[in-house]
Amino acid sequence: MKFLVLLLAAALAGCATTDIMPFPDAAPETQPEPVPPLVTPAPDAPRENVAVARLMENARADTRAGRLAEAGASLERALRIEPRNPRLWHELARVRLAQGQFAQAENLAARSNSFVGSDSTLRSQNEQLIAEARAAGR
Amino acid sequence: VARRKRRLRRYLGFGLLAVVLLAGGFVFHLDYRVRSEFEGRRFALPARIYARPLELHAGMRIARADVEAELRQLGYRELPREGEFGWFARRGERLEIAVRPFVFWDGPQGAKRLLVDFENGAVAALSDAAGQEVDLARLEPVPIGGIYPANNEDRVLVRLSQVPPHFVQALLAIEDRQFYAHRGFDPRAIARAVLSLASDKVQGGSTITQQLVKNFFLTPERTLRRKAIELVMAVLLEMHYDKNEILETYVNEIYLGQDRDRAIHGIGLAAQYYFHKDVEHLTLAESAMLVGMIKGPSYYDPYRQPARALERRNLVLRETRERNTITMEQYALARAAPLGVTKKSEMGTSPYPAFLALVHRQLRRDYDEADLRTEGLRIFTTLDPRVQMVAEQALTRRLAQFDKEKRFGAPGLEGAVVVTDPQSGEVQALIGGRDVRFRGYNRALDAARPVGSLLKPVIYLTALSESTRYTLVTPVDDSPFVWKSRGAPDWTPKNYDSRFHGMVPLRTALAQSYNVAAARLGTQLGLERVLDNVRRLGVERPMRPYASTLLGATEMTPIEVAQMYQTIASGGWRSPLRAIREVTTQEGKPLARYPLAVEQAFPPEPMYLLSSALQGVVREGTAQGLRQYLPPETPVAGKTGTTDEQRDAWFAGFTGDRLAVVWIGYDDNRAARLSGSTAALPVWGDMMAVLAPEPLTLPRPDKVELVWIDPESGLRGRGCPGAIELPFVQGSAPIDRAGCSGFEAAVESAAEAVDQAVGRAKSWLERIFGR
Repeated sequence: MKFLVLLLAAALAGCATTDIMPFPDAAPETQPEPVPPLVTPAPDAPRENVAVARLMENARADTRAGRLAEAGASLERALRIEPRNPRLWHELARVRLAQGQFAQAENLAARSNSFVGSDSTLRSQNEQLIAEARAAGR
Repeated sequence: VARRKRRLRRYLGFGLLAVVLLAGGFVFHLDYRVRSEFEGRRFALPARIYARPLELHAGMRIARADVEAELRQLGYRELPREGEFGWFARRGERLEIAVRPFVFWDGPQGAKRLLVDFENGAVAALSDAAGQEVDLARLEPVPIGGIYPANNEDRVLVRLSQVPPHFVQALLAIEDRQFYAHRGFDPRAIARAVLSLASDKVQGGSTITQQLVKNFFLTPERTLRRKAIELVMAVLLEMHYDKNEILETYVNEIYLGQDRDRAIHGIGLAAQYYFHKDVEHLTLAESAMLVGMIKGPSYYDPYRQPARALERRNLVLRETRERNTITMEQYALARAAPLGVTKKSEMGTSPYPAFLALVHRQLRRDYDEADLRTEGLRIFTTLDPRVQMVAEQALTRRLAQFDKEKRFGAPGLEGAVVVTDPQSGEVQALIGGRDVRFRGYNRALDAARPVGSLLKPVIYLTALSESTRYTLVTPVDDSPFVWKSRGAPDWTPKNYDSRFHGMVPLRTALAQSYNVAAARLGTQLGLERVLDNVRRLGVERPMRPYASTLLGATEMTPIEVAQMYQTIASGGWRSPLRAIREVTTQEGKPLARYPLAVEQAFPPEPMYLLSSALQGVVREGTAQGLRQYLPPETPVAGKTGTTDEQRDAWFAGFTGDRLAVVWIGYDDNRAARLSGSTAALPVWGDMMAVLAPEPLTLPRPDKVELVWIDPESGLRGRGCPGAIELPFVQGSAPIDRAGCSGFEAAVESAAEAVDQAVGRAKSWLERIFGR
């Protein structure tokens, strides 16, 4: 029985990846992968933090208005609250890309990937961003 | 006779002309000085340095008492005052805060009322006065010092339009009643002063203009000649500038007290220093107190001479009332008010000299020293005053205890502490020595000492980077070892317990800090490779390529060690340690940001294994002592370090949200007879116990799997007694099962087989779906 459930889950995960289009602003918040007993799960992860959501919102508004330094500052404030939130690292990478800091953009996206867990959408967004940063930095 | 008379007259004429010309020339010279210096005169404004602002949000782990401590440090009063801000009030578990306005790097933030509800050591809810939920609230940052001009003069410039009228009224009533009428000097006042010479109550006859000239251009000697020059210059000043310009300069210039080595100048700073408010909000009573102090700031010091200061203030109020510039009601109200000075915070140029030295050093890379001392820049730093205070208390207390136990005599033990945020590399606290307020030698930045075993993790990291050859259970050899190199004596490292332990699992060799195993492994891997990894971790200092370097004969400063461990704590992501976030001009215009920067220095897999091994150091190795400080469910990683004859005691460790490095030893290199685990570790433990750290959580890389291992055999051992779960890079875990007995083991063995089958099926499916 356990075997079957796992099979199904794996199959669904596979389908999901192929169906969802990368759309940066609408991606669902990710649940982190269950962490092994050696390390206990992060206390800040499960429910969305309103402060972080607000800062992310501000950062997006700033980005749209071209205030990239301010956007970066807001994301760094958010990262002080949730340092393991892969979405925040990704958005910061995006800001650095827009600022023309390609090496930083690439590193930050890779950092986001290190926290991404099972969120394959965000993972592919990060990979795309890394490719973009590499191409632009050349 | 007539000719002689004529000649005499001519001589006299020439003489007179010469005198007139000379005097005219002198006046002309004075005039030039007055104009050029007054116009060119810009007050030197020190760079102002702030701690990190405290940001509150629902769900944040912080005790009410800690928020209150921060507010007190900001000079908030514990008393509601409607219509004002800068106070807080406690109502059960709710804190009401009237937040002051502040100009941050990203713009001004207005004054606001904030209601904070606490529950179980965390913020439960946050709302404004109207009951609306607030997502995030930022308090203004605590000022932690400045970078001062050579004379240590400190001031906050104000415009005359900001100064409340009652301040000016009180000032003129007591210092210069005819200010708006005279031309620089007041003959009646001078006459009064001369007459008073005969009595025992000597009066000053100087106008505000004369006082300004005296403070501005002249030395403090009291001679008739200087008095005459002062008078001429005052008249000249009045000829060129209008009254308000003179008054504005005066209120910014006046000396109003001393804060240790810092001189308080101008009413802008005085308002902040004595009342923690901006000049606009000075009340009549407060204004009168400051005006009263002009005559003698230390004689009328409101902290040391409150009765005198109060009497003087009331005299100022009476004189002001006599001139009918305030109503009887205002007068009565002000007279009835207490002095109202806020609690004195002895800060001098800074209470955190060691951290400020780091800030200053980082600033000097980008700014001119002169600009830092005169342009009034605002520097926003990463210092967390609470973390700093906790670190100071932990170090001070332990050093006193060790000194007492050891009785080595003066000079006593020294210590240094660095605390950072492992994810961002921000420095949260820094201590440069046991006298934490001392501005001199900064051991955290400048004391390069042998690091001992702190370097061992780099040897194991180098090994674990080769996953096909080394895992956490790979046996390493801790039997006698001799290192021969040409031109150097043989090197025969010994263990701390003077014994050899034969073949031991790699993780045990690190946990028990075996020297011989580490030395042998390091030389096998290659000294250059290990040192190269030290550099990749962020240490820029050149290191001698000797085998003894492996066991920490190389010297590093505590901040360099922190940099090295920061990269380990963040899982291989190197971030330069930063003490500054932002810099603005005096007006708040953004100048620079020092953004978070990361660079992947190592792949995640070996870093994950290393962190797991470093947790083993705390769980079962040389840092087991930490268990008495922290709850067992809080995983921490760390490494002790002790050098020859116990001259240096180190502990470097990290949790989920903090990294700290502690060093203890003597400046003169005496043997301290204290090890990393008996001296540095307790300081670390005391500190973290108060800070209640978050558990260490590292994201497990995809290519790392967890496998149950039988510690006896080092083989797979799910269900075996004492089995532990350890991380392995995929494909590197032992394949064979330990032969441990028991029903449970048999069941688990079967379960394991099923799991492996599931894993295979899963990876087969993943291949099909292209994940």
